[in-house]
Amino acid sequence: MRQGRLIATGAMLVFCLFALWQSLLLSLTDRLGPGPGFFPFWLALIGAVLAVALLVTTFREAADPSDAETRILPHGEGGKRWLAIVVLLAAVTVAMEYVGFRIAMLVFNAVLVVALGERRWWVIAVFSILGSVGVYYVFTTWLDVLLPVSPFGF
Amino acid sequence: MEALGHLLSGFAAALSWYYLLYAFVGCVLGTLIGVLPGLGPAAGTAILIPLTFSLDPTGAIIMLSAIYYGAMYGGTITSVLINVPGEAASVVTCIDGHQMARQGRAGSALGIAAIGSFVGGTLATVALVVVAMPLATLALKFGPAEFFALMVAGLCLVVGLAGKNILAALLMTVIGLLLALIGLDPVRGAPRFTFGIEELFDGIGFVPVVMGLFGVAELLLAAETRQTHMIQAELKSWMPTRQECKDSVGAIGRGTVVGFVLGLIPGVGAIVPTFMAYVLEKRVSKTPERFGKGAIEGVASAETANNAYANASMVPLLALGIPSSPTIAVLMGAFIINGITPGPFLFAEQPKLVWTVIASFFVGNVLLLILNLPLVGLWAKLLKIPFSYMCAGVLIFCVIGAYGLKQNLFDVWVMLGFGIIGYLLRKLDFPIAPAILALILGPMMEKSLRTTLEISGGSFAIFLDRPVALALLAIPVIVVGFLVFKPRSLAPLRESDAE
Repeated sequence: MRQGRLIATGAMLVFCLFALWQSLLLSLTDRLGPGPGFFPFWLALIGAVLAVALLVTTFREAADPSDAETRILPHGEGGKRWLAIVVLLAAVTVAMEYVGFRIAMLVFNAVLVVALGERRWWVIAVFSILGSVGVYYVFTTWLDVLLPVSPFGF
Repeated sequence: MEALGHLLSGFAAALSWYYLLYAFVGCVLGTLIGVLPGLGPAAGTAILIPLTFSLDPTGAIIMLSAIYYGAMYGGTITSVLINVPGEAASVVTCIDGHQMARQGRAGSALGIAAIGSFVGGTLATVALVVVAMPLATLALKFGPAEFFALMVAGLCLVVGLAGKNILAALLMTVIGLLLALIGLDPVRGAPRFTFGIEELFDGIGFVPVVMGLFGVAELLLAAETRQTHMIQAELKSWMPTRQECKDSVGAIGRGTVVGFVLGLIPGVGAIVPTFMAYVLEKRVSKTPERFGKGAIEGVASAETANNAYANASMVPLLALGIPSSPTIAVLMGAFIINGITPGPFLFAEQPKLVWTVIASFFVGNVLLLILNLPLVGLWAKLLKIPFSYMCAGVLIFCVIGAYGLKQNLFDVWVMLGFGIIGYLLRKLDFPIAPAILALILGPMMEKSLRTTLEISGGSFAIFLDRPVALALLAIPVIVVGFLVFKPRSLAPLRESDAE
């Protein structure tokens, strides 16, 4: 846990330093007053100081015995479910551009519920169709929300 | 009297069939969100934003507000029946509510929770009517310096009470503010942190970020630690006895006052008023030993304070434009998506909208009472929905919500990225609430500060010449100073990010 907090705070420090560098590329002041770089510069500077202070305090903290049992990254059966959600969400985002919302979401729903433990094929089929074609119809027809359509028009 | 006239015209609009329908749908969906463990009001309100894309601004705000207070009640059902709070504010309800359920009094607990929520929510809305307009009128006298100071004070209150670690909370606020600056500079129009990526010119979308940090992150946490078997208490009736109602009258009154007063303070969060109302009730009780063993006053006080807080937290949003919690920040995002800026000008420029929305709070409270008393058995059945379907269903809404606003797949990637970041931040105990509030307030804070400095010719001494701004800026100094000196007595009251 402490190691994870140190890594996360370090990442935030890098983010703040990067923002600081980027803000220096913008003008801090101009003839009207503060420029586009003014607010981000001071924020990034404050953020960097806070990140360093947090790194120091976390580093000085006494190790908590329960920390050793706390795992930051997902693992075991739960980890597989976690990974399934992340990978499928990434896959459906890529797929929607090429095959449209309906087909991408049909496959996403079916694979996701199977990955999360469902085995009854007819329930999977009904849920997948309602969660893709049905949802598409409701959102595009009743709620006027545009959803991705494939280059082939479906 | 002026407020009463506006409110009556608000009722005339809010009682039209379509706004009634939006409030009803919002209450149903909110209760559903509250019932499903793991999905809090912030996540629920965020993932259901796409449903409001085609509605007019008033209808959209009515529906999203109804989702919010519906979710606040819905969390009670799981707290009582399976001892799992549907959202953070219902944690206190578990203490006596589930004990009542184990004694075969689940119906009484849920019934008094519905009645208490109705009374607390309605009385807090009455107080909102009285307080909001004078507060907004006062805020109209504010210049950019006062607004900047007000936003800094609001953020610092959230920082002070939202996190266990003040440094981490402050750092998360700065990260949120920096993320808010991505896109075109609001004053000069210069691109900042865009790296030539066209999609970043409009900034990072609030909706995809919130859906990621709340919706996706909560599902990832739930997927990892999924509970497969829950012991559900039996539900025999849904009405408390006359004696139970009599015992709860004082608790409901005190819960309303505690919930309303604390709802006015940004950053307090919903769990603090419920906890304080519960402790107060235990203190004033002649038989405090019953608390924790199924005392109906424990449920009544916590649930009343919970809903009074929910309605009172609309005061800083509507009158000052300051969101006091992540859920209210999501609502503020919905206002902005619809081209409306909450704050003192809202009452002057959009009186019809604001009074219709306020009137809809009354209507929503009545609808919730009607929905929750007789239908509690139906809600309890929803707990049997398998996680796989709940997860897939929520993700469908997340994808549509992230994509639908700008028809842009880039935003779906943003949502996924922030989902993973949110998951890691929660596991590492970094508070997310300050970052969310900073993200929504960032552009306005920058604009106010730069306008102030343009007026003063770049001198910060302008804040010393404006007593209101100076007084407001003293709040963060006091809050941070107070927290640095270890207020151990407040530690149990601090809100987690779960809301």
